Amino acid sequence: MLKAINITKKFGALAAVNNLSFEVEDRQIFGIAGPNGAGKSTLYNLITGFYKYEGKIEFDGKNISGLPTHKIARLGISRTFQIPQIFESLTVEESVNIGGRFGSSGKFNTGYSDEMIAFTSLEQERSNKTNLLNLLGKKRLMIAAALATNPKILMVDEPMAGLNAMEIKEMTGLIKSINQDLKITVIIIEHFMKVLTELANPILVIENGKEICTGTPEEITSDPEVIACYLGDSHDT
Amino acid sequence: MFIEIIEIIISGLLNGSVYALMAIGLALVYGVTKAFNFAYGSFYTMGGYFAWILLVSLGVKGGYYVVFLTAIPFLFVVGYFLEKILISPLRKRDDWQMKAMMLTLGLSLFLDIGYIAAFGPNLKSLPDIVEGTLALGPFVFMKQDIVIFILSITGLLCFAWLLNNTRVGMAVQAVAQNPVGAQIVGIPKERVFAATFAISTILVGVGGILLSQKNFVNPQASTGIMIKAWVITAFGGMGSIKGSLYAALIIGMLEAFVGYYLGMIHIEIAVLTLLLITLAFRPQGLMGRE
Repeated sequence: MLKAINITKKFGALAAVNNLSFEVEDRQIFGIAGPNGAGKSTLYNLITGFYKYEGKIEFDGKNISGLPTHKIARLGISRTFQIPQIFESLTVEESVNIGGRFGSSGKFNTGYSDEMIAFTSLEQERSNKTNLLNLLGKKRLMIAAALATNPKILMVDEPMAGLNAMEIKEMTGLIKSINQDLKITVIIIEHFMKVLTELANPILVIENGKEICTGTPEEITSDPEVIACYLGDSHDT
Repeated sequence: MFIEIIEIIISGLLNGSVYALMAIGLALVYGVTKAFNFAYGSFYTMGGYFAWILLVSLGVKGGYYVVFLTAIPFLFVVGYFLEKILISPLRKRDDWQMKAMMLTLGLSLFLDIGYIAAFGPNLKSLPDIVEGTLALGPFVFMKQDIVIFILSITGLLCFAWLLNNTRVGMAVQAVAQNPVGAQIVGIPKERVFAATFAISTILVGVGGILLSQKNFVNPQASTGIMIKAWVITAFGGMGSIKGSLYAALIIGMLEAFVGYYLGMIHIEIAVLTLLLITLAFRPQGLMGRE
């Protein structure tokens, strides 16, 4: 469904993403792991067209390299951010409607936006300003607005960051449900290994912008190179 | 005494309504793109010349109806394509907001000198939109002033409606608040930037048509208008449309009172004193965010 072929992004002399290739298949939850600064978020910025890069990314067989961000969004790739990006002066409902109105080429369907508000359990807050939401609420809102664009792929960036144990459980359930009930392919960057291995299969591990290995949760957690570079310093965070 | 004060307040409202119409355009562009449009005042003059060409030079039938019906699409097209051709390429570079300031400053000088080259240095006068006076009890109004007031308020209401009820307006608000998030939900940022610039060109150009009836079409009017619009947006809070509305009203009133009691010559100094005091205590302006 999404295929990256030898993509490289250099910032000056530093290669943040270095000759990376991978393929995400339909209906997968594709995990991306790696230490801080490994190039995970940069990779998202390449897929969504925020930066130019070398190499090629194909989506449903179509080359999307070099397309502007809003066109990539309209083709069906949506994402959320590590630090919630919200429209502060709008209400929850208005924010989600913006996703529905601009995100897909078809006619705007209020019904679908309403479903997404219910799906992300924001029903109670729908008329509130978005800056009144707590962190979990903001994250749910970002997901609702992204889903309202009717994406084929949803890319989430560290959805668990800053959440407590209960909230992590809730967020994990939500992501599973996006994949299983809405039948949307998910790509997830997550630092929290326990969550990632529970949710994702396969998992791509990168360090310094390069692939270390790709495999099932069992394979990557037993890979000596992964343990050395990644799990060694953070598997208990 | 009482009647005097009411008259001053009415005069302040009148000033304030046109200032508001013009200043929100500047606030809008800054709020959405975070770049300052120094050519803003020159589009005011453009509005004036546009009306002069139609009404005086060509003498079209239909008068100001035709002027407004044609000026709005004309100003939109001018604003949209100037943004696309001159400013939009700058966004591929670092620190583009600074470069956009430089470029619009150059554009302003170019336009102002162009007006002199094309129309000569003399002031042009526009016919009044309506003539005569209207007496309401002890108050006597110029009908022209009433029409200008009504048109400014109509313009403001149209703008508010556009911003809150249309697809374009929603996209503009989304980009102003969060350009990254807006693109992710499929909003074409580049087109929104150009549309914003075009809408602001309409606002100030229409302001030029309205005010040039009273102040003449002046090829060098842009600097004064630019300063006024800038003072209002800085006082109201850079990029805050609501702040600009209040600021325009306050400054309109201040001008009317100072002009009446202390003399016209003290207006500018009073306005700038208010600006400096405000910025010293509230650098973000009345309603701006830090």
